[in-house]
Amino acid sequence: MTPNHTKTHDDTSPPRLTLGFREWLVTLLLVLAIVMFTPSIWKIFENYATPPDYRVPYALSKNYGLYERAMDRLQPAQIPVLGDSVVWGEYVSRDGTLSHFLNHHSGESDRYVNAGVNGLFPIALEGLVRQYGGAIHDQKVILHCNLLWMSSPEADLSSPKEQKFNHSRLVPQFTTTIPCYRASFNDRASIVVTREVPFFSWNGHIRNTYFKQKDLHTWTLADDGGYPPSYPNALAAPWKQITFQIPGEPENDSDRGLDSPRHKAWSATGVGTQQFEWVPPEQSLQQQAFRGLVNLLCERGNDVFVIIGPFNTHIMAPENLSGFTAGLAAIRDWLDAQKIPNLPSATLESTLYGDASHPLTEGYQQLATEIWSSSQFHDWLVR
Amino acid sequence: MLFHTWTFAAFVAVALLGFFALRPTRFWLPWLFLASYVFYGCWSPYYLILILYSTTMDYSVVGFMDRCPRTGGHRFDLSHLRGTKISSPRLRLAYWGFIAAAMTCLAAAVINFSNLRPMMLGLCLILSLMAMGTAFSSRKIWLAVSLINNLSLLAFFKYAGFFSDAINQLLANVGAPFQLPEAAALMPTGFEYLLPVGISFFMFQSMSYTIDFYRGEIDRERSFIRFATFVAFFPQLVAGPIERASHLLPQFHSRPQVTGRDVSEGLSLFLVGLFKKLALANYLSIYVERIYDDPSAQNAPALLLATFAFAWQIYFDFSGYTDMARGVARWFGFRLMLNFNHPYLAASLGEFWSRWHISLSTWFRDYVYIPLGGNRRGSWLTCRNLLITFVISGLWHGAAWTFLIWGALHGIGILLTRRLEQADWYHTRLPKPIKQIAVFLFVGFAWIFFRADSLETAATIIKRIGTTPWTDPGCPGLMLALIGAVWGYQYLSESRYKQILQWPATRITLATGMIVYLLLFSSKGGEFIYFQF
Repeated sequence: MTPNHTKTHDDTSPPRLTLGFREWLVTLLLVLAIVMFTPSIWKIFENYATPPDYRVPYALSKNYGLYERAMDRLQPAQIPVLGDSVVWGEYVSRDGTLSHFLNHHSGESDRYVNAGVNGLFPIALEGLVRQYGGAIHDQKVILHCNLLWMSSPEADLSSPKEQKFNHSRLVPQFTTTIPCYRASFNDRASIVVTREVPFFSWNGHIRNTYFKQKDLHTWTLADDGGYPPSYPNALAAPWKQITFQIPGEPENDSDRGLDSPRHKAWSATGVGTQQFEWVPPEQSLQQQAFRGLVNLLCERGNDVFVIIGPFNTHIMAPENLSGFTAGLAAIRDWLDAQKIPNLPSATLESTLYGDASHPLTEGYQQLATEIWSSSQFHDWLVR
Repeated sequence: MLFHTWTFAAFVAVALLGFFALRPTRFWLPWLFLASYVFYGCWSPYYLILILYSTTMDYSVVGFMDRCPRTGGHRFDLSHLRGTKISSPRLRLAYWGFIAAAMTCLAAAVINFSNLRPMMLGLCLILSLMAMGTAFSSRKIWLAVSLINNLSLLAFFKYAGFFSDAINQLLANVGAPFQLPEAAALMPTGFEYLLPVGISFFMFQSMSYTIDFYRGEIDRERSFIRFATFVAFFPQLVAGPIERASHLLPQFHSRPQVTGRDVSEGLSLFLVGLFKKLALANYLSIYVERIYDDPSAQNAPALLLATFAFAWQIYFDFSGYTDMARGVARWFGFRLMLNFNHPYLAASLGEFWSRWHISLSTWFRDYVYIPLGGNRRGSWLTCRNLLITFVISGLWHGAAWTFLIWGALHGIGILLTRRLEQADWYHTRLPKPIKQIAVFLFVGFAWIFFRADSLETAATIIKRIGTTPWTDPGCPGLMLALIGAVWGYQYLSESRYKQILQWPATRITLATGMIVYLLLFSSKGGEFIYFQF
């Protein structure tokens, strides 16, 4: 702005870092090679143990790439048990889940695979299987149906009021309208790109597994939660975080298992009976998604067996029972029409539920016994 | 619609497709105009009213100015108001139209609409001036119409709150029984009082056109669509560079030729800009926000480093935007001016301003500093002119005392160092890196006022830098390493070893590294800092 400066309209000066057409071509080829091969090469070096009764750890629930890798290891004789946190085991340790007790009955240690993910719901489960469950094909599959997701417009995601919900990255972004989901075009496009390009899933896996679900920049700036805060990662070397060892579940998880204070009957928590505003089956988004999931699994050549419930009807106000019965009947009618074998499990004792839908350890044991003693299940197993 | 979003990617893809499809026809320009208005309307459709109004006014003003004689005019001779001297029937019609419209506005202001009274009176004044301009055939009056119109809109949307608060404070202190109304209360019913994005940029661009025409430096643009596209051209609409009509308008006259070089250089510019924004500016902003949001809880090293980081954040943010804007424009075959030229390598404050926000600093030089007299009227008046120019430049950035002080600091800094820079020993004996560091430290100090939300906060920061103990600042080493790498790169690019950066292998490595870094580590982040100006 000082007077001795010449007028600057320097549009002709090229950018400092200017690449010609050929240089761009080489650059893009290099980037393409990195993007294509890094995830596969990474898998070779990374240690990922999936022992019997393995389930994707709670902290890595959103590491869908890890789920994909776990499913990639499925053997033809193994039977994945697909579902939400009821299959995963919200209140129980991994040796207290449905798949564990089914293994116990079968006399094999690893025939039934826990393919549940914490926090899922049918719309997200369909997305998970569609995007990351390509390995589940041409085999027997047990699919769990949790009617809880139809118990209110909010749970069904059909409420017009905006909601934030878990696993929104798995729901359809452009093809199905979810009234309560209000992400911008930009967020939706970003999710689709992340889902479709394995490199981005791998990148998400690195963040999830080694950087406490943070991107590198945020990780270097994270504080320790104390006051005054300190910043342990500010001068830490990021590459030292990468141990090439995917963590399993914690040895002593205070939130789960027989010794956990959370592992207790719902009635002992002081919760009384609740009102459920059941969504009519024909209007339920979750039920539509569930049907879509069954169709998808069948299209992939799978032989599907559906377990419905056991829903905790003890927690439900008696006047809401008709809505529940209608929903259950609608699912059963549809499955029967599709010739999908299904088993609506009997309601367990009240004390065997941790909440409206999650059984406690003994509840899973009884459920597995009920399934195992069902002729329908055995007919399905041997067909 | 931000450049680093998928929404913009989709928009620009459609805009490019349409542009290339229509390029053989004469509709490519209307298409660009439409795309630019869609782009701007995405922020708020209401903004379109404002930009269309401003554009129409300046287009018409220059149209009327073009009918006035180049010199003299009628020297404000009131006898011409008798009407016989307005020879053209069209002008006579316009004259009576302006008079009628001015009277209507005046009547509306007097009779009703108390909240619209200031706006009606303002319109009445502008319409009266337009009638006078028609009657007197005076280019000066038409120039005044353009300046008053643009500056009053800018003042209302950007500064009304600041000045009314200051005046109301003063009125309250002297016990006056009345207060000025809130600016928001003066808006028409149903319209929200919002600062339109990029208003300072497009109005300055539009004003430069009328001023340049008044000075006889450019020809009148006869096509409204062409002129409107020049004002609203979407790559540079919301944060510059503030283009001059003499540079950009001629590019809209002929069908743009897009070569492979345009595409590859546009891509290069876009990549560099994207890297600056997503990998650097957004990263630095997290640290800066942490420290500046609660400076009274921070110690000297954190405050110093945050100030240092902010200096780079604002550079990466703003120059990143400009790079992307220039890159996008190149894909359409247009060249926008250079806006940043490694400002932190400046060895003097004067040089800093020839490298920082070049389009704005040259605007102020050409339209404020030189008209004030520049350096032609002795050293005292030169000092006054410099100081006025820098204070206005500070206020351009925002209506706050902090911006005013920031501008004044730069003005004072230049005044104090001018003699020093002319001294022989300073030129020949002091090593350049020392000068560069000194300039950077001064600029960094001034940024404290720019970034702080109030003068009290700025004072707290400066005080705490001088008085608090040296404790761990919690500043990531990676962040410092990235800044160091960029500084090193820029230093190298202006050194005798700059050829290294021109080797194909270097360029490919750098570009690949930047893309992979962006894919892996880019930070999410919001708007560009300069959108608020």
